[in-house]
Amino acid sequence: MTTASTTTARPRRSRWTGGGWGIKIAPYLFLVPNMAIFAVFTIYPAFNGFNMSLYESNNGRTFRWVGLENYGRILTDVEFWNVARNTAVFAVGFVVLSTLIALVIAALVNAQRRGKTFFRAVFFIPVLVSPVVVGLIWNWMLERQNGLVNTGLGWLGTPPVPWLVNGTWAMVAIILVGMWMQVGFYMLILLAGLQSIDPALYEAARMDGANWWQQFRVITVPLLQPSIVVVVVLGTIHGFQSFDFIWTLTGGGPVGATTLMVQYIYENGFQSPIRYGVATAGGVLLFIAVFTLTIINWLISRRREAV
Amino acid sequence: MSETRAITVVRPPRTWTSIGGGSVRVSDVLRVVVLVGGALACLVPLMWMFLGSFKSPTELAQRPPSFLPESWAPDNYIEALSRFNFVQYLTNSAIVTMAATALTLAINAMAAYALAKYNFRGKTFLFLLTLATIMIPLQVILIPVYQVVASLGLVDTLWGLIIPAAATPTGVFLLRQYMLSIPDELIEAARVDGSGEFRTFVQIVLPLCKPALAVVAIFSVMWRWSDFLWPLVIAQSESVYTLPVALARFNAELTVPFNLILAMGMVSTIPVLIIFLIFQRQIATGIANTGIK
Repeated sequence: MTTASTTTARPRRSRWTGGGWGIKIAPYLFLVPNMAIFAVFTIYPAFNGFNMSLYESNNGRTFRWVGLENYGRILTDVEFWNVARNTAVFAVGFVVLSTLIALVIAALVNAQRRGKTFFRAVFFIPVLVSPVVVGLIWNWMLERQNGLVNTGLGWLGTPPVPWLVNGTWAMVAIILVGMWMQVGFYMLILLAGLQSIDPALYEAARMDGANWWQQFRVITVPLLQPSIVVVVVLGTIHGFQSFDFIWTLTGGGPVGATTLMVQYIYENGFQSPIRYGVATAGGVLLFIAVFTLTIINWLISRRREAV
Repeated sequence: MSETRAITVVRPPRTWTSIGGGSVRVSDVLRVVVLVGGALACLVPLMWMFLGSFKSPTELAQRPPSFLPESWAPDNYIEALSRFNFVQYLTNSAIVTMAATALTLAINAMAAYALAKYNFRGKTFLFLLTLATIMIPLQVILIPVYQVVASLGLVDTLWGLIIPAAATPTGVFLLRQYMLSIPDELIEAARVDGSGEFRTFVQIVLPLCKPALAVVAIFSVMWRWSDFLWPLVIAQSESVYTLPVALARFNAELTVPFNLILAMGMVSTIPVLIIFLIFQRQIATGIANTGIK
């Protein structure tokens, strides 16, 4: 009989009430509900996704084996390439901008002696708002003629910006709104990282005459590296999965200029004409993309640490 | 946009500090100005929604937009509640959020306890498997999961919204980390006293895990309340709509006046804001822990 300890082996008790059998079976019983849901709703579908991408169906009930045809169709689909490009542009813009701004805000909040908690809370508030509502508000605020943003820009003497009317501006809009929605979350992670850096290091640097920028570059960035990696990885995953706020902000328009991969999967899978095979194949490709990028992120951060 | 606005405001303050006679440093003032600008960028859209939720359609169409509403009477709220099945969507959202959170807490805590405090065959494998599923979000396996839910007959039911995402890998991970810090002696002492395994878990381990359970609960509530893609796919008839689904559908139909949509948006935002204000500290530490460890 094994002891229940996970850390150290300790002298065995002479008597276990409930008997050894109870202790041996208990962990499995504790695991069953969670693992059953995992198995049915995550692990099985994950494997079945690869399988399903080899079939075609236009109603979700009858499936026809088509082999790799779905991938052939998707890779020759002009819309797919458009969507893939949009997703890449959005994800890169979103990750780079969010990480930089979150870093700046975290550094500023951390340097603040008073009101740290207040600013931390305020910057986090947009994270709480339902993405659907975020899309609704910004759709209204970015309205061309009468939106708050263009009215504000008008006071500064800027001509109205065609935010949601022009494809390029709409992409800029979803990147900025995505950032508005998530930056507080990343800021919180980075702030926790900053607070774990020993203040004595800055003290020493200051005595050696290092200015703010030098301190930031030589102390903050290297010591914050693990947190930055977490933010970049999370940001990449968030960026590639963005759907809900875009759905109510631009609806993927104008003319597909802001349609991203998840929307492509949703529309092919659930809106007529239903192309189940294409939607599942799209899911597999998205998974491969996110998986590869996450691995690359970790590898790059590993190598930097080694140097 | 929001940030560039903050940066353009930055320049003027230099003159203030020169008046101040050097007692206040320029960098301090700059920092506060940038932070206040950023804070405004975060808050203005929400305040604008709040103000807008009291305006009439004509006020909303006014050009340039009016700042304060003409009256603070909650007409939009009353109309939204009476004209649509708004109470139904609110109830659905509340049921799904609470039931899913309760389920998540129960099964995650049990799994975490097994992984933290027992030695058994396959332990490492199951733990790694759990962690690996963080890499497989629902969006990626949307169609295959929908197929499973459909074959179980759960499409268009609240159960279909509640069960599939209940076994969160992050919840298991967070609770396990916390349970590792509970001394084994405590559990052994309970056993010696004749307490069964399940009773030890419920009466001794769970009360000690309250802080971690609170973090998992808060995150589950916030996430379930706002969740959209999965409910959009599963909730096909109006009686099953959650708030976000109803909002998005109404907005797309264009038949529902925008002032009512703003009121509904406010109602969906207020509960999470209240939860956040109460549990601010737990949320901050929760994110710091899950993000980094």
